[in-house]
Amino acid sequence: MDIQSIQAQIENDLSAATSLPALEEIRVKYLGRKGLVSELTGSIAGLPVEQRGQFGQQVNALKNKLQGFLEAKEKTLKTQPGVSQKTGVDIGMPGIAREPGSVHPITRIIDEICAVFTRMGFSVVSGPEVETEYNNFTGLNIPLEHPSRDAFDTFYLKNYSKLLLRSHTSPVQVRVMKTQKPPLAVIVPGRVYRPDAVDASHLFMFHQIEGFLVDENIRFSDLKGVLELFAKSVFGQEIKMRFRPHFFPFTEPSVEVDISCIICKGKGCSVCGRKGWLEILGAGMIHPNVFKQVGYKAGLYTGFAFGMGVERIAMLKYGINDIRLFFENDLRFLKQF
Amino acid sequence: MKVTYSWLKNFVNLKATPEELAQKLTMAGLEVVSLEKQGQDFVLEIEITSNRPDWLSVLGIAREVSAIYGLVLKDTLPRETKIKTKELWPIKISVSDKKDCPFYSARIISGVKVGASPDWLRSRLESLGCRSVNNIVDITNYCLFELGQPLHAFDLDKLSQREIRVRRAKSGEKILAIDGVSRQLDQDILVIADSDKPVAIAGIMGGKETEVTAQTRNILLESAVFDPVLVRRGKQKLGLQSESAYRFERGVDPQGAKRASTAAQELILKLAGGAARGLKSSGAVQSKQQVINLELNYVSKILGISIPAVKARQILKQLGFQVKAKAAGSLAVKTPSFRQDVQLPIDLVEELARIYGYEKIPQTLPAVKPARQAPEAGEIISGMKNILTGLGLHEAITYSLIDRQLLQRAGIPADNGLIEILNPLSKEQEILRPALIPSLIRAVAYNLNQQQEKIGIFEIADVFSGRQNAVEQKPALGIALCGTEAFFTKQGLVRDEITLLHLKGALEILFNRLGIRDYGFVPQEDDTISVTAGGAQAGFLLELGAQILENFDIKNRKVVLAQIDLEKLFTAVNLSRKFAEIPKYPAITRDISFMLRQDIAVEELLQTIKSRGGALLAQARVADYYQGKQIPSGFKGLTLSCTYRSDSRTLTEEEVAPLHNDICALLKERFEVKLR
Ligand SMILES: [Zn+2]
Repeated sequence: MDIQSIQAQIENDLSAATSLPALEEIRVKYLGRKGLVSELTGSIAGLPVEQRGQFGQQVNALKNKLQGFLEAKEKTLKTQPGVSQKTGVDIGMPGIAREPGSVHPITRIIDEICAVFTRMGFSVVSGPEVETEYNNFTGLNIPLEHPSRDAFDTFYLKNYSKLLLRSHTSPVQVRVMKTQKPPLAVIVPGRVYRPDAVDASHLFMFHQIEGFLVDENIRFSDLKGVLELFAKSVFGQEIKMRFRPHFFPFTEPSVEVDISCIICKGKGCSVCGRKGWLEILGAGMIHPNVFKQVGYKAGLYTGFAFGMGVERIAMLKYGINDIRLFFENDLRFLKQF
Repeated sequence: MKVTYSWLKNFVNLKATPEELAQKLTMAGLEVVSLEKQGQDFVLEIEITSNRPDWLSVLGIAREVSAIYGLVLKDTLPRETKIKTKELWPIKISVSDKKDCPFYSARIISGVKVGASPDWLRSRLESLGCRSVNNIVDITNYCLFELGQPLHAFDLDKLSQREIRVRRAKSGEKILAIDGVSRQLDQDILVIADSDKPVAIAGIMGGKETEVTAQTRNILLESAVFDPVLVRRGKQKLGLQSESAYRFERGVDPQGAKRASTAAQELILKLAGGAARGLKSSGAVQSKQQVINLELNYVSKILGISIPAVKARQILKQLGFQVKAKAAGSLAVKTPSFRQDVQLPIDLVEELARIYGYEKIPQTLPAVKPARQAPEAGEIISGMKNILTGLGLHEAITYSLIDRQLLQRAGIPADNGLIEILNPLSKEQEILRPALIPSLIRAVAYNLNQQQEKIGIFEIADVFSGRQNAVEQKPALGIALCGTEAFFTKQGLVRDEITLLHLKGALEILFNRLGIRDYGFVPQEDDTISVTAGGAQAGFLLELGAQILENFDIKNRKVVLAQIDLEKLFTAVNLSRKFAEIPKYPAITRDISFMLRQDIAVEELLQTIKSRGGALLAQARVADYYQGKQIPSGFKGLTLSCTYRSDSRTLTEEEVAPLHNDICALLKERFEVKLR
């Protein structure tokens, strides 16, 4: 028998072995005291001198290979479910435990984001969903009759004039600043409402997270630093960021923050609209008019604010393509989180 | 807003490629949302933020380009054709309210030849998606796109008395607009009228009757400034959008009105012939040009980077500001008429940051000073979610806006104290829900339809009601359970149909974890079970009745629900803990098994035992219960477990036996139990 056909035979035997005892039989057959390998080793002496060296090496190589195969096979056999000889437990049977519940993916994202900010020293605050027109608009330097209102289409309440469903979480800025003096480091998650026609990416109710930091010496560079720390914590250290000038009535200078697309890594795909960038939040330095509205002395404080849509971030992170899934409450959806 | 690369090149000596230009504009706040090649040219579509009406023109964008690249803006005013006095035609203009229309100007051009536009004009408009009409209309549109000033040309001979009256519409007046739709007008809408009828909706759309057609010989060219709020209200009321309204509601450059009028006249004379016959205007161009003091220290205080004075001056000048150095580190900046949005130093800081580049501003981390505060409701809610998910429940989020009908289906009266939405888009957004239960029932029904065997969901959200002209919004916890829980034990799979007791169990664990000391479950007349916490009523449990199950099309299933008022619950929450000494002496436990009449409440039995057991009875609890063949109907089988213990000594059997016998005797005489 030549070395090659012996090796083929070994491989056949090994793949047929399904238990540890069967494997032991193979070990004895080949590597045992009277096994094939020692037989081959013994036959070296009978060979012409010039062939002995090469043949010896081949036998050694075969022996090493076989040992490797046996070890690997033993490992896989040991990890495969089997019945314990000692306890009689078949570990392949279902584990005994009650099925746990789950928090909603929106809650998961809110918790994850709030945790990043609370580690930095921010406090989580909430505000009412039924708001005054003042807190939702005027207090935030949004004129009631100006095209800048178009971005904040709003549900109003019947029989309660000047009350509405907040169209963003920013009114909590006004609430907090009217009752507290800086330093303020606040993060506000919550439901918001806008009369949008429903489709795969729009709903009339969704969640936002608002945050703001106000003190005597807060600068735009701080906004960049804090938001970079946030984005890298949530989307990964490897993302790239882009701060793009924008307009919001309640901040100036204002910025929209893009991250490199987490799906295509910036090469361009359908999720990022071939741009390679994903817009994740809006931010800016709090407008002096907002400070004026809440009664802070002019020029005393500076600060930044930011806001983001929770559903959008959840959709990006979890690969969800229809926003309506969040509120259908299908258990097959909820159980994945 | 669309702009072409070649059109921009009329104003600046651009060398950058269209792709690079798009990138730079985006990073300066003019987000280029698409860049398309069209023939030899490129069309950039730019999203213009609502604060920058001056960007709604090729000139405005070219000005940005000049600042971004440090290029000269070739902005030359057109030469105006002089009119001899004897050639003047009379024009009558009246403006009834200067606030509605601070400036109105009309030019007369006679003997024009209306026809097709030359190719260059046609293709420029078409590349922006504007349909070519005729040379006169095209020229007004061309000036609108290039300069940002909406213009309108009337057929002069169709204006009754050749007169222009800028006034509010009278109720009952109508106009057939150039889009072919007849519209009802009222006093909130500003119109351009002749001596007897409206001929245009001011700033929004012209009228069909007086539009320029192939037969038109003489025209009246309007260039005006209208009140932005009035235009906005008008277009919202009429449901009309136009390039013109889009610019007026954002505010046009007051000085641009005169310039555009001249530019259009000259282009008309050039392309359609005719003769200029007059210019008349009403009102003065008000340009609020102000001088703002900008301290460069302030710039670095806001941005966290200092921009060199030379650079700052250059940027502002190229954006159209006049800049004078005052003291060292201080600039006097005069705003141009087209920048009505710039009023405060912060507005200038933004301009500097935008053009200098946000990317040049470093990233720093501020020293955050955390607030000192007690745990907020939000933290308790987070803790509750942890407990409830640990109990196998899944968190649901349902809409706070619902339709009235959903309440009715859930058996909740849908009349009193409901908060209604003034402007819902659909029935599903009719009211703010007063309870969580209806939405949860709907979620249960939905999941049953998806063949789910066991449904356990909860939601924590606000509920809303109207109380004495105020809106009350309070957080609530809702839980819904339904179906059969299947779980393994050593003996195999156990199936357990969910009942009210499962719901009670979940709430007990929740309340215990929250440190709520005295809570209770009290059956009510209406078959619901009231939940009390800290002595006050805090919610209820219920099992859905047949009618409601049918309303939701739920068949052969029990659905149990709870709703808890969290404001009430929070007052009873006690998260502090006090260690209780671990018992030093062993206890003696005695079980009693018996049959109890079905109608006697276990709670009553336990209370009685506890008072009889005295100080030595440490605990009495239900250790087991069963129903089945051995138990006659009308009875339930129970095993009570009584634990006796003393804090001062080890109890003996002899001490416990009489006490326990006494309890057994009590059960027999007071509750007629049959011991087993
Ligand atoms: Zn992508």
